[in-house]
Amino acid sequence: MITIQNISKSFEDNLVLKGVSTVFEPGKTNLIIGRSGSGKTVLLKSIVGLHTVDKGQIFYDDRNFTQMNHKLRKKLRQEMGMVFQGGALFDSFSVEENVRFPLDMFTNKSLKEKQERVDFCLDRVNIARAHKLYPAEISGGMQKRVAIARAIVMNPKYLFCDEPNSGLDPETSLVIDELVHELTVDFNMTTVINTHDMNSVMEIGDKILFISEGVKTWEGTKEEILHAENKKLQEFVFANKTYREIRDVKIEKEN
Amino acid sequence: MKLFFHVGRYSSLLARAFSRPEKHRIYLRKLFVEIEQLGLDSVGIVAIISIFMGGIITLQVAYNMSNPLFPSYLIGLGNRDTLILEFSSTIMALIMAGKIGSNITSEIGSMRVTEQIDSLEIMGINSASYLILPKTVAVVFIFPFLFVLSVFFGLIGGLIVGPAVGAVSAPDYINGIQYLFTPYYVTFSMIKTLFFGFLVATVPAYFGYFVDGGAFEVGAASTRAVVNTNILILVFDLILTQLLF
Repeated sequence: MITIQNISKSFEDNLVLKGVSTVFEPGKTNLIIGRSGSGKTVLLKSIVGLHTVDKGQIFYDDRNFTQMNHKLRKKLRQEMGMVFQGGALFDSFSVEENVRFPLDMFTNKSLKEKQERVDFCLDRVNIARAHKLYPAEISGGMQKRVAIARAIVMNPKYLFCDEPNSGLDPETSLVIDELVHELTVDFNMTTVINTHDMNSVMEIGDKILFISEGVKTWEGTKEEILHAENKKLQEFVFANKTYREIRDVKIEKEN
Repeated sequence: MKLFFHVGRYSSLLARAFSRPEKHRIYLRKLFVEIEQLGLDSVGIVAIISIFMGGIITLQVAYNMSNPLFPSYLIGLGNRDTLILEFSSTIMALIMAGKIGSNITSEIGSMRVTEQIDSLEIMGINSASYLILPKTVAVVFIFPFLFVLSVFFGLIGGLIVGPAVGAVSAPDYINGIQYLFTPYYVTFSMIKTLFFGFLVATVPAYFGYFVDGGAFEVGAASTRAVVNTNILILVFDLILTQLLF
């Protein structure tokens, strides 16, 4: 479980996050949504410690992350996995070297054990016959899946994804969404996803946090979003005509 | 004020880079890769530049010593001392700042803009140490060898060009390069190359590590890195020459 209490973050005079508080529960896919520039990425990077917050506290299962020293943070980070927007795979490593890298750095497993774990993770994300290829030689969707495999290779308790569907076609996006959701449930991870993708919101949003101009404006589930009365949220989520029609039909059916 | 900011940030980056590595075996493996990529792959360019450099210095010395009172073997001596004292250490370092330095800045800078450095940090890896330490050790280690190679090829260049254009006979040239040899000149230049190697690795690494933006900024950072490294090499050359002589 990740608990965020009243965190604020500014860059010079620009206050980007304004007292955001929430709780992300394990085994659930938690989504952070909001317009571009609303502070989603800053929030996610603050949660993982890539940005230092100005105010507020972040707890990982009662462990106060904001007050940890460098050594403790480093240890906690071995319980985290993160999928970056562009995949952030190491260009000079092959697919399997990328996935094996955290194991090489932090475990004393034998090469055979490491290879078994790498194969398991790559199988889990449906990557076959690409072990020896380099990131530049595989598609964007495959890169994302390799990034997910790398993120889960250490059996993390917390998984973070920064716009995992950006630049992907709708079908591949769905595959990625389902994969992340399955992994979250199977491994009981606390997953936090930063997304713009409304398909993701409707498909896998166990909990949704809507950020607007650095402020938490709404939170709830994908079911609750249909009835949410927050105007900004409605404008954002149902900006697309098709989504508006689907919402109207669903509400009509419920009534 | 900006200078102090950069000096402070550079120092704190170095403090992080030279902290204890996570896993020595991985760093050692990376060190060998860097020695190959940054050092051994530079041997060819060092050899070519040094041959031409040695040949040109020989010609310049010959043209400036056309007085019959000067014995022609001094041409070899002039080439040798010029190579050892300045060209094979300082000029080679300036050239290597362009080759190795821009390589380091663009590699680390690209990793920054594609979030690979963030990815290392999230894994709990000290990215500064993982990326900068092996490169720095590799360059500092390889620079004295490149210096020796440069002197060797420079002398060969003089031996080829001098007799070929009739500026000096081969026996006179060989006699000259052995005449009044001062071993301290080599020690002096070796010390310089260690400093220059450190600058060539760490200054471009600093510019790459703190790139903010995209491909354009990486290119701009590479240019800034090479310019600043060159200036620092010349400043340190001046200081070390004053201190060591």
